[in-house]
Amino acid sequence: MDARLRRVNKEIADCKNDKTSQIKIELIDESPFHLKGSFPGPEGTPYEGGNFEVDIVIPESYPFQPVKMKFITKVYHPNVSSASGAICLDILKDAWSPVLTLKSTLISLQSLLCSPEPNDPQDAEVAKHYMTSKSSFDDTATYWTQIYAGGPGPKDKRNKGSGVDRDEVAIAGLDKAHVDRFEQLGFQRSKVIDALRRLNYRGPNIAQISDDRVVEELLK
Amino acid sequence: MSSDYEFSDDDYDAYDDEEMIDGTQDEEEGSGDEMMDNFGDDFKVVPKGKQKSYEVEYESLSQQDVENMMQKDVEHICGIFGVDEDTASLLLRHMKWNKERLIEKYMDNPTAMLVAAGVNLPEAPPPPPPARTHSNAATQSSARRPTTRGTSKLLGLASGPKSAKSPTSPTSYASPKPLHRQLSKKDEGFVCQICFNDAPNLQTLSLDCEHTYCTDCWTDYVASKIRDESEHCIRCMAEGCALVAPDRFIKDVLLPESGNPGADPRREQNAKTWARFQELLVRHFVGCNPSLKFCPYPSCTNTVSCPSAASKSTLTTIVPTVSCGARGIGNEIQQLSQSQQNGLSLQGKEHIFCFGCPIESDHRPVICNVAKMWLKKCRDDSETANWIKSNTKECPACQSTIEKNGGCNHMTCKKCKHEFCWVCMGPWSEHGTSWYSCNRYDEKAGIEARDAQSKSRASLERYLHYYNRWANHEQSAKLSVDLYAKTEKKMEEMQITSTLTWIEVQFMKKAVEEVEKCRMTLKWTYAMAYYLARGNEKELFEDNQRDLEKAVEDLSELLESPIEPENIPTLRQGVTNKTVYVQKRNEIVLEDTANGFLDGRWRWNVPVEGFDDPEELL
Repeated sequence: MDARLRRVNKEIADCKNDKTSQIKIELIDESPFHLKGSFPGPEGTPYEGGNFEVDIVIPESYPFQPVKMKFITKVYHPNVSSASGAICLDILKDAWSPVLTLKSTLISLQSLLCSPEPNDPQDAEVAKHYMTSKSSFDDTATYWTQIYAGGPGPKDKRNKGSGVDRDEVAIAGLDKAHVDRFEQLGFQRSKVIDALRRLNYRGPNIAQISDDRVVEELLK
Repeated sequence: MSSDYEFSDDDYDAYDDEEMIDGTQDEEEGSGDEMMDNFGDDFKVVPKGKQKSYEVEYESLSQQDVENMMQKDVEHICGIFGVDEDTASLLLRHMKWNKERLIEKYMDNPTAMLVAAGVNLPEAPPPPPPARTHSNAATQSSARRPTTRGTSKLLGLASGPKSAKSPTSPTSYASPKPLHRQLSKKDEGFVCQICFNDAPNLQTLSLDCEHTYCTDCWTDYVASKIRDESEHCIRCMAEGCALVAPDRFIKDVLLPESGNPGADPRREQNAKTWARFQELLVRHFVGCNPSLKFCPYPSCTNTVSCPSAASKSTLTTIVPTVSCGARGIGNEIQQLSQSQQNGLSLQGKEHIFCFGCPIESDHRPVICNVAKMWLKKCRDDSETANWIKSNTKECPACQSTIEKNGGCNHMTCKKCKHEFCWVCMGPWSEHGTSWYSCNRYDEKAGIEARDAQSKSRASLERYLHYYNRWANHEQSAKLSVDLYAKTEKKMEEMQITSTLTWIEVQFMKKAVEEVEKCRMTLKWTYAMAYYLARGNEKELFEDNQRDLEKAVEDLSELLESPIEPENIPTLRQGVTNKTVYVQKRNEIVLEDTANGFLDGRWRWNVPVEGFDDPEELL
């Protein structure tokens, strides 16, 4: 049998048999080389309670070349692109070793959620948010987990992440009061959110960004 | 580096931007280039006849020649450290083939060095101080490594898996480590952790770290690293293991000596991979040595050695045009017999390239920095953009670009019929009755704007003057393939219509070759002239350029003229004369320009790296 196929089959089977790790690998279509992995968000992080799905493509020369992975579930994390789900992780690139498996790689992703590396970011805006205000970042990441990954969210409000009443301001990790203020100047709400997100208008940064600068960005 | 560099004829040798290490400089060579000293003794460049000032000394090396150079370095290190060849070459590769620094660092801390190079495991007991001589190296080296694994289950490479009891004594320089080739035993229940193959009698391999995997996985892994990643430094497959597979291991993995050759259908593929690996090593070595450069032509494996152009600072005085000696594309053509090659030589172009920069052709007479500047300028669309910027405005309504080529300020956009004032860009309706005297019109600003506009246009015209001539010669050179074919036909025709033999009509081919060469020179003289500062020197340069151009055009015309039997002798006479003349003129241009660089005669109208800033800017 083809060594690659044998190995992938074995990996999928191993994962099925292992009940303790909570890591799941499923087929997406007929091909055993295009898979979907999922794992629960690690406890004690903003991702807790969410279920994160990962698109897995197994290249021709697997396991000698790294597996290709990206998040299907939107994740608010400095090392994950908030737009495409692309992941910045060394073992998916040059630090790959053939002894690593799909399961161990997914576990690495899980632990990446625990320990962000904002100095080597995939998503610079998210990384800036993380560096500026950890607590605000955590709120946003929790909110993303709630609406995209089916997480519980803050206990008091917004029990359902039904998607209908998604709060764009919270998704962008901004303060509603700030957005309202610039919206009142006559700018579109979505434009204000974009501009403030680009400027990282959060926490101690706000003091350093003049209103003129914001308006300049809005007029771009 | 332009700021701290004072140009002078004599000091370019001593000046070098390579980093230096105190105490390792070889003073008697008079060169501060440490790398050059390192490599300088390894090969000698034989001067080929009388050197012309526009030519550089260089030597073409085959892959085998470079491998011999590498081997020499490896043996040198073996001799000093008393290590086996695999270890020596891993050490050298780790230190980018810088012997001096390797020796220094190794003497300082051999353990750290061996770990860093991926020869030893970090936990491995430190080897005794390195031996100075290589006599008896075999015993030393076996003592040196008090085993990171049990020897009983190990086999020598040559012995193969079936003759487990007779490890052969290696005959090479110092004792190479035996390879960890073994058969898995049934009772061990070995399962390869990569392919999950648990077949009994699975052949397995490991490096010193004893991370054992089956040979098939090793083969696939090594092949993938070499073919997909072009990687010559192949680490152990285990995660985080920094041990590097030595060459012998890789060879054994790809081309095992045991087993019957030919049985493996992948053997041919693996042989190619092994060849690729060796090429990668050569490329790495060449890349580490500033006086070597790999031929940039596709699938050519030759290297050119040009020590005189090894340091960047010399590139302000010389144009190191070199040729690797091969012709055509691909190995097939190189392997043809001499007669076949002669037949193909019209198509099979010589591999001429510049040693000092990435331009893959002869850019004489102009030096690398100026040639690069010119190419960048031509590539950038910035000139077009500049022109648009200084000559056009956008319609305030539909944003169409409009050039105002006359008339009054009352503009009507052709596209959207919007009427506006050219001066203030406001809608014309607002101007009311104050037509032609826009109240926002600023007299002074208007004059300045017009000045700037005409200046920009003049400089654009100047650029286009040079560019068009440059491009014209480039285009002609591109058409040279056609010209060759046409000329060949003419030569055949001439043979038929006259009594001339094939040898005797070769003058046509020579003329075409000469024309192509001169067009190349001419092309670059326009790049040079564009940047040359005004003055007598530039005028002399342009005189030479004009003479060459005139001669080339005359000869081209002769080559294009129809062949009639009665005037073949005159044509032959004329072409031969002109060819000689053109050759002479070309030489004059090249020689004079090259001497100018050596004398520091040329002045530029823009700042050029390695030169004084221009006295007058255009």
